[in-house]
Amino acid sequence: MKIYTGTGDRGKTSLFSGQRISKTDDRIEAYGDMDELNSIIGALVASLGPEYSDPVEELQQIQTDLFAISALLATTPDSPSMDTIAGVGQDHIEFLEKSIDRMVDALPELKGFILPGGHSTAAWAHMARTVCRRTERRIVRFLDASFKMQAPDSYQRSLIYINRLSDYLFVAARYCNHLFDTPEKLWQK
Amino acid sequence: METKAENYASELKERRWLSNKSFEITLTKPKNFRYIPGQWIRLSHHAVERDYTLVSAPTDPHLALCIRNIEQGFLSAGLSNAPVGSHFNFNGPHGYFTYRPSPRPAVFVATGTGLAPFVSMARSGVTGFLLLHGVNSTEDLYYAAVFKSAAKQYVPCISEADRSSGEYFQGRVSDYLRKILAPGPYDFYLCGRGEMIRDVTFLVDEKFSGSLIFTETFY
Repeated sequence: MKIYTGTGDRGKTSLFSGQRISKTDDRIEAYGDMDELNSIIGALVASLGPEYSDPVEELQQIQTDLFAISALLATTPDSPSMDTIAGVGQDHIEFLEKSIDRMVDALPELKGFILPGGHSTAAWAHMARTVCRRTERRIVRFLDASFKMQAPDSYQRSLIYINRLSDYLFVAARYCNHLFDTPEKLWQK
Repeated sequence: METKAENYASELKERRWLSNKSFEITLTKPKNFRYIPGQWIRLSHHAVERDYTLVSAPTDPHLALCIRNIEQGFLSAGLSNAPVGSHFNFNGPHGYFTYRPSPRPAVFVATGTGLAPFVSMARSGVTGFLLLHGVNSTEDLYYAAVFKSAAKQYVPCISEADRSSGEYFQGRVSDYLRKILAPGPYDFYLCGRGEMIRDVTFLVDEKFSGSLIFTETFY
């Protein structure tokens, strides 16, 4: 199957809800960053390998959730296409929170700023965390410009999910170092 | 309505030739299978898989697919001579190329068997649309009767040299849009070859600003 259509060759792209918009639109910037975030989580999954099936399955669930949020960002709220878009719910946010709590319970107490890095899997998790923060900023910019303070609930929930995800990825980075017995390096002034 | 893709088993009930190269097959409809007009299924037979858009209406008692018999085609050749009663597996429904009512006029644009989703929509009660159908010859206009009452206007666009009368638009679907359709916002539904989708999309950007475009590429 050909993957190229050429319909984006002149700087515009199509939303899932049918509109043609510029590729520099805030909405496109937002779901472009979602794509980057999802790809980096993919690199984290690949570096963990299949033998770590529990964290891999958890991360792949998160990748699926990110697709759902991207579809939402590619759809205007007044469109009938919205009927086919599930987005993420409160249960998805709670899934992240429970996982954060579970990992924190297994980790030593945090005693200062940690230098991002350590084991390669932890380094990928930190990369994902920073891109997640940028993605969040882009989504906020898009929602502010498009809806002021009146963004629909589905968008608000997505924002909460992304905020929680960056916390998750910070803890996941620490958890990866713990999993691979790699000491964390604290920031020394 | 949300639909979830699952695996199903089905059986060939009937095959009806529509032209020298195309035929419609009817399959038994599994009990719990639900779909929306415009969605497709992944049909498998003897370990070969192909995607086909349903041309039946969801309320029909059976499933129907329109198939173009391609020489050395992966599955079409097998489907063209499989005996009635043959077993098939499929996964579906898939896809988002479904009709979304709006205050803007709907313009359906198809090339060849890209007409399939519009057949299902028309059979399901969607009406009032303009349909442009790009084909190589009048022999490919086998679904004209389906659109007679459903479409506000059905315009076959024929580009071959020996086209006959003023009954058909002589040229490509993109020529019709460029020369005939009045500017304004529409909801465009494009299904067919990638080149047609690209050409019409650019045309919409130029001439029909404020329109929506929904696409499905058929190869």
